[in-house]
Amino acid sequence: MKSTTETKIAPVEATAAARIGVFLLREGGTPPPAVDYAMLAEYASQLPGVAAVRTVAVSAAMDPEKLAKEIRKAKLNTLVLAAEHPGFYKPAFARALTLAGGVGSQVRLASFAERGDCGGAGRAREVLSSAVRGTPNAPAAEPSPSAFNTATLVIGGGVAGIQAALEIAESGHKVYLVERTGTIGGRMAMFDKTFPTLDCAACILTPKMVAVSQNPNIELLVLSEVQEVSGSIGQFKVKVLKHATRVDASACVACGDCAHYCPVTTASEFDMGIATRKGIFIPFPQAVPNTYMIDPAYCTWVQSDGKKCGACAKKCSKGAVHLDAKDETVEFAVGNIIVATGYDVLDARRVERYGYGTYPNVLNSLEFERLTNASGPTGGKIVMKSKKLNKKTKQEEWVFEPDGEKPKAVAIIHCVGSRDKNYNSYCSRVCCMYSLKFAHLVREKLPEAKCYEYYIDMRAFGKGYEEFHERIREEGVCLVRGRTASVVERDGQLYIHGENTLDEHLITLPVDMVLLSVGLQPSQGTSELAEKLCIPRDDDGWFRELNYNSEPNSTMRQGIYVAGVCQGPKDIPDTVAQASAAAAHALRSIVGATAKAHAAAATQTSTEIAGTPARS
Amino acid sequence: MAVRTNPQLIDDLQHFGATDAVKCYQCGNCSAACSHSEDPYVFPRKSMRYLQMGLEKPLRSALDPWLCYYCGKCSEQCPRGAEPGETMMGVRRWLTSEYDFTGISRLLYRSWSSELMAILVVAALTGAGFLSYGFMGGGGNLSVYDGPGAFLPPHAIHVFDWTMGIILALLLSINCVRMWHFTMRNEHALPVRPALYVRYLLLLPVHFFTQKRFRHCENKTPWANHLILMLSYLTMLTLIMVFLKQMQAGPQVNWYAHSFGYLSAIGLVGTTIFAIQGRIRKDAAYHRHSHESDWMFLGLLLFVSFTGIAQHILHRAGLPMAANITYVVHLMGVVPMLALEVPFSKWSHLAYRPLAIYFAQLQQAAQAEGALPLGRPAEAQPAA
Repeated sequence: MKSTTETKIAPVEATAAARIGVFLLREGGTPPPAVDYAMLAEYASQLPGVAAVRTVAVSAAMDPEKLAKEIRKAKLNTLVLAAEHPGFYKPAFARALTLAGGVGSQVRLASFAERGDCGGAGRAREVLSSAVRGTPNAPAAEPSPSAFNTATLVIGGGVAGIQAALEIAESGHKVYLVERTGTIGGRMAMFDKTFPTLDCAACILTPKMVAVSQNPNIELLVLSEVQEVSGSIGQFKVKVLKHATRVDASACVACGDCAHYCPVTTASEFDMGIATRKGIFIPFPQAVPNTYMIDPAYCTWVQSDGKKCGACAKKCSKGAVHLDAKDETVEFAVGNIIVATGYDVLDARRVERYGYGTYPNVLNSLEFERLTNASGPTGGKIVMKSKKLNKKTKQEEWVFEPDGEKPKAVAIIHCVGSRDKNYNSYCSRVCCMYSLKFAHLVREKLPEAKCYEYYIDMRAFGKGYEEFHERIREEGVCLVRGRTASVVERDGQLYIHGENTLDEHLITLPVDMVLLSVGLQPSQGTSELAEKLCIPRDDDGWFRELNYNSEPNSTMRQGIYVAGVCQGPKDIPDTVAQASAAAAHALRSIVGATAKAHAAAATQTSTEIAGTPARS
Repeated sequence: MAVRTNPQLIDDLQHFGATDAVKCYQCGNCSAACSHSEDPYVFPRKSMRYLQMGLEKPLRSALDPWLCYYCGKCSEQCPRGAEPGETMMGVRRWLTSEYDFTGISRLLYRSWSSELMAILVVAALTGAGFLSYGFMGGGGNLSVYDGPGAFLPPHAIHVFDWTMGIILALLLSINCVRMWHFTMRNEHALPVRPALYVRYLLLLPVHFFTQKRFRHCENKTPWANHLILMLSYLTMLTLIMVFLKQMQAGPQVNWYAHSFGYLSAIGLVGTTIFAIQGRIRKDAAYHRHSHESDWMFLGLLLFVSFTGIAQHILHRAGLPMAANITYVVHLMGVVPMLALEVPFSKWSHLAYRPLAIYFAQLQQAAQAEGALPLGRPAEAQPAA
């Protein structure tokens, strides 16, 4: 009985001497492989059992007969196919091996796209060597269940990070949520409404943010950045730089006295610079953690090395302000990492002909979100900027005031920097819909105002989106099919100039406000993070998923997952869905390892129990 | 009304240099960016559309391509990385071949080997013709350049150049009439009263001599270069067609005639070298692509200029035989250049551009008068 089982699973090599043929596949129609094939061929020829190394051009219609001839000539009985995705060609080679008198199942794959260590020549060699030896690729191997760390690191505290963190924490596992800014919430916290339902974004997000702050399994690290990551799945070691908030979170009650007395005023990042904040500030009233923090770049005390000011510390009745607090480095271990670093919007200054940065009433999409948001500088009123004297600099500035003049005509320009070879050639996916939402908000808040949308193609692809598009059309928004070529100001009046491609006429329209639907691009620091995590990015800079269709959450490195826009532009529902999926991936490995560990422990226990009576 | 499409149109235009119309996604940025494009002549997107749809007839009846001066702003801003400016250039070549009733233009544009062959054949015939005339009908002595007994006396050249001029003008005129027919007599065109044709006639010489529309482009250098080239060419043509006797007299320098000659020679050589340099460097959008016909045109222009200058210098240097030989070689460049370029190729735009501006103005005037399109559907037709 025992011997039959053994013969069944015994590999062919055990009985006959293995003559392995390594085939480096060159795929036609795809970009040349990043791996140096000459180097790889040299390496392969030195591996044990390798009888022949060939570099072959492969195509969908390959002739197995020809291959069989070659296999017969070199007397091969095992084949190793090496390429980015060699699986596609396996049937042809298996057939050829059978034709040549071999066993069709003796075809092994060495996929350079397979998970492993950092990319490049090292991994290619590793993958090839594993395939030739018939052993699993070492970096992809999981640690023993007992050594598997069940904690998870989530990088980025936007809606994706929050969702993933909550999914994991609520199933009883530890989560470290690292956020670069002073609050979680990310971009979604800045939005006024969500499309297509026109729900209030904050009403959806803030309960989740609060849930994060209240979940004992989540350790939230704000003003923090990942510095170093080492190890592999189940045992990553992480180093995080935690910038000092200089305010004791446990003592601060967010009364705001400190900010009241702070003499420094600067542009608020959360409000995209259209409103101001103090040197000691809270990003927005619903921020999590709901604690004030000091911006050392603007703080008089910090800048003067403690010689000046310090008003906040003196005025704080709770004694929560510690101006001399230092940044610290935190180290911890996790088993999985979820990357959810989101996006930045394209700097519209690059598209010079739209005059962003030159004309005060040309806004980008996030600025408009803040303007129309009830917690924005005008209390949600859509007004034009007005000129105001800055008492400190003695210069006139364009600022939003709640009693500013209302625009009579608003133009929304789609595809700013998207679908454009000169900027980002990809479609940013959300702009059409948020532009329609903007049009709705303009028409709703300013029924007298005209609203024009200049679009190239209306991409209303999601559930309820086409209906939303129809609704906005019926609301009296003027949709013009054509791209605006320029925005110019003459005698204080903005004009937009473009072609209506449906009736082939050029139109120049006087408008009071122009909203630029700027595209999304990977957030600042994405490339550095990719290097630290050792995961590749695609040509557009987004993190590359393991497989576009079947593994959209996984990366080349086992145990590191992506969620949300950092993997590619997507809307809120898709982001949330992907975040939950990433959490499921992490949980799967945690649960698997835990179950295995329990099983191992149980076996050991039963052995011990079984062994006890015999000994006594 | 059925619309006929020609699916091969876009492939055909490839031969004329319009290679990337297929990239266009019809955003209209180019039309709005163009400083020449204005209602009702909105381009270049429409031409890209015609190519994609295979709308041969509307493309043939379009005036737009001639209203474009190819500053390249559309190409620079194109989000698809296409070059609408180059498409317009290709369409202009195609239109030239469509206007040409002989089919020669089409042959020359579509095949550079045919063009080269045609140049060589005409050059050989010219050389053989002038040499045999010189030895048999003319002065007979290769070492006499000017005065009595000259190898190629001015009066003989005049007979030749005026005959050639009339034939070429005739060919070009027929092509111009065809242009008028295509652009002004199609079903979408408005009928224009003869009085309007007279009223706006002045537009033709004004635009011919000043090319002032070209100045609307943001970059003025191409306009200046083009104007200098055209004026130098015209001056040289006038000198040769009318003052050849004074030009040939020597060996002393005849400053009244020659100073004009020198100026236009400088103009011709300078602008040609400038254009060649630009096309080699490819630093501006309008120089990035060069059709074979562009190189042959510039090559011929440079060849003609240099041989012309050389025969002049050789004559003044007291080398009449060398001057005569260079003269024949010079004519071997001049004749193919004029015979092939004026009615069938690049030079023809000297006529087509002012005509297009004129026609466009006439259409707008007719519209202002409330004219209805020629091919308006017959009224009260019973529904099928």
